Amino acid sequence: MPYQQMDDKSDVDSQKPEKMFTLKKWNAVAMWSWDVECDTCAICRVQVMDACLRCQAESKTDNYGKQECVVVWGECNHSFHYCCMSLWVKQNNRCPLCQQEWSIQRMGK
Amino acid sequence: MLKEKGQLKFEDKWPNMRPIVLKLLKQEPVSPGEWQDLFYDVHLVCLWDEKGPAKLKDYLQEDIVQFIKQAQIRVLAQREEQALLKAYIAEWRKFFTQCNYLPTPFRQLENTLLGKSGTSTLLSGNAKKGQADESIVRKLMLDSWNVSIFSDIKHRLQESAMKLVHAERNGEAFDSQLVIGVRESYVNLCSNPNDKMQIYRENFESAYIKSTEMFYRVKAPDYLAKNGVQAYMKYADSKLREEEARAQKYLEAGSNAVIQSCVDVLVGKNLSVLLAECAPLTKAGETDRLQLMFRLLERVPDGVQPMLMELEQHITLAGLADMIAAADVITQDSEKYVERLLELFRKFSTLVHKAFNDDPRFLTARDKAFKAVVNDTNVFRLELNTGKNPGPKTVAPESKCPELLANYCDMLLRRTPLSKRLTTEEIESRLRDVLLVLKYVSNKDVFMRYHKAHLTRRLILDASADSEKEEDMVEWLREVGMPADYVNKLARMFQDIKVSEDLNCLFRTSTARHDAINIKILNAGAWARGSERVTVSLPVELEDYIPEVEEFYKKKHSGRKLQWYHHMSNGTITFMNEVGKFDLDVTTFQMAVLFAWNQRPRDKVSYENLRLATELPDAELRRTLWSLVAFPKLKRQLLLLSPAVSGSKDFTEHTLFWINQNFSLIKNGKPQRRGKVNLIGRLQLSTERSQLEDNQSIVQLRILRTQEAIIKILKMRKRITNAALQTELVDILKNMFLPSKKMIKEQLEWLIEHKYMKRDDDDINTFIYMA
Ligand SMILES: [Zn+2]
Ligand SMILES: [Zn+2]
Ligand SMILES: [Zn+2]
Repeated sequence: MPYQQMDDKSDVDSQKPEKMFTLKKWNAVAMWSWDVECDTCAICRVQVMDACLRCQAESKTDNYGKQECVVVWGECNHSFHYCCMSLWVKQNNRCPLCQQEWSIQRMGK
Repeated sequence: MLKEKGQLKFEDKWPNMRPIVLKLLKQEPVSPGEWQDLFYDVHLVCLWDEKGPAKLKDYLQEDIVQFIKQAQIRVLAQREEQALLKAYIAEWRKFFTQCNYLPTPFRQLENTLLGKSGTSTLLSGNAKKGQADESIVRKLMLDSWNVSIFSDIKHRLQESAMKLVHAERNGEAFDSQLVIGVRESYVNLCSNPNDKMQIYRENFESAYIKSTEMFYRVKAPDYLAKNGVQAYMKYADSKLREEEARAQKYLEAGSNAVIQSCVDVLVGKNLSVLLAECAPLTKAGETDRLQLMFRLLERVPDGVQPMLMELEQHITLAGLADMIAAADVITQDSEKYVERLLELFRKFSTLVHKAFNDDPRFLTARDKAFKAVVNDTNVFRLELNTGKNPGPKTVAPESKCPELLANYCDMLLRRTPLSKRLTTEEIESRLRDVLLVLKYVSNKDVFMRYHKAHLTRRLILDASADSEKEEDMVEWLREVGMPADYVNKLARMFQDIKVSEDLNCLFRTSTARHDAINIKILNAGAWARGSERVTVSLPVELEDYIPEVEEFYKKKHSGRKLQWYHHMSNGTITFMNEVGKFDLDVTTFQMAVLFAWNQRPRDKVSYENLRLATELPDAELRRTLWSLVAFPKLKRQLLLLSPAVSGSKDFTEHTLFWINQNFSLIKNGKPQRRGKVNLIGRLQLSTERSQLEDNQSIVQLRILRTQEAIIKILKMRKRITNAALQTELVDILKNMFLPSKKMIKEQLEWLIEHKYMKRDDDDINTFIYMA
């Protein structure tokens, strides 16, 4: 048990005098990524963390650079760029990876 | 006109015509009546006497020749050069004027001789323009002059004219009209309509060139021997200009032959003597003399090439010598390095400007030399294969220049003493300087890697001096041709950090008690290069925030997973000891170590116990502890240890650490009771191990880019020779790196082996694309 600290950080200001180090500011860094099994979109062969080929070509980003090119999961749990999949289903309503009938389980946001 | 043909004879009319003809030849006044009569008589002779026209022509010619003979006697009576020329020019001018008048009354004759109908004779005065040039009588006059006078005395004429020019070259003055007049007679004398300059060129011009050449053949070696090569260059230059001006005066425009022969005598014959001066002048930076030399040597075929080679060699050697002499300073200090380089660039660019007027050939030689200096690996080298077990693909060491350039950029773009000292304009101009140097760097991909790492640190630590300048820099990198995918990655980081800032605002307003925390949740695709994360046991103060942030994030987004990058996170803590109270900017790892003492402020804690408390991997714990016992800027360190060691590698598991209760910041030699200090140093972006992988990943990435480029070229060309492929490949990749011959060869073999392409059966140096 490395930290057996008794105080709650909420009373940081009412610290005991012997408390040597107190936190003033913490800048926490995290990275997010799509929660997918496979990093690459099987349709356009681009990493799902990057925009799909079409979106890259049109550099389709809003003012803040937020990707509009999100990820979509099927009931089969396979995932693709939403852009890529919506074009795909127009021709073939099956998952390109497992050939199950395609139906959307959830969309990334 | 009722008379019949044959009734009127030429012989009847000629006695009336002849006096008028003679008057015209001698330029004596002719009355309008006489002038009219001549027209009419020519008309009658042509109309009524069948043999008249031929007879008329013969008689006319006889009189012209007689007249010319008289003129010749008058000219040759002159013994002295100038008088002879003067007499000739006077006679010629008179005669030439008559060449324009005398043919007019004989136009009817000309028409008849040419077999044309004579009905329009009386209108002959309105003869078409240009007819005068074709006029038979005029041609008769000029040819006669050419045959009888000119052929006999042209040698005397030329000789006299050239003697005058010679005298002028020796500084004597005379009436230049005499030479000009002679030239004009040569030009006008020519009746060959296809080559009007023939007589002039074959006689006057060639005599002029010969005498010019003779003159300098004697003078030039003499001058060189007496005055030395430096003075000779000035002499040759001024003589060439002088001869150019003289040729303009005395020769017809359009031919450069005389200057060519002057150049040959003055420069070409002394080329080796002149070129021997090039090296010492270049070394001494004698721009005026170099410019003079350039002006001279530019006129001969092999003159400039040796000068270019000399310049390139000089800049390369001088530049490298300068770098090596300053090696101690510049290897330590990227600012000094870049400034030193720029100083060199400026010095030699000034030389090229002043001595060679920024001639493109010299600029190219300068650029070649700059490339050699910038990419040289003698002063400092970057080993891309820093692994302890360098694999089979050993990469040649490269210049460290791109790394130092990136460091310098960082100093300008981050809040540093340097960037604070400079104005916005100064920073901009220095960034432009960096781009100028970058132009010459072969391994630009290394620059981009370091630049991106520095940018990552600045954005994560909010340490940019000027965010506008940051984004400007990205655009400038694009402008100088850095590959789009590199630059786009940088632009994406800026966009992402803004998204993250908005998210942080939302988070901080979502509840009231988050004064102490800021979050940066970034797009892994834009920031993390698959770098491994480091585990750490967070102090409870920090740990408690985590579920709250994750909860908040889940509400905002779905389908996303979060990974904490604690090696990048950081913060500020307050430290209280016996001396006073201090704010410390620290990394989260430093925080984890220091908070271990909160429960036991005066304990001495072993390395092993700290490892258990923080759960940091060995390498990270050593690095973190070292930053707390030996921070470069501090006189009194935060942590004390026993036994003392010379480096973090020497910590054992029994090494003891404790808080320095006398810690304080020292200002003007006095300990302060309050203060703030930044202990973060260079924020770590990855672990030591992945640093190594980074270097290898540069090599890997190059291999990949080379393969891609080869395929791209083959796809387009279908078949291509090895040499053409190499050229196109270097062209495609030059803004990233310079592919080595060895690497290209390896990749070609690999692609052949994997059936992307094959060698031509008939020619092993030709490749064929295989779909
Ligand atoms: Zn896709
Ligand atoms: Zn898309
Ligand atoms: Zn599926």
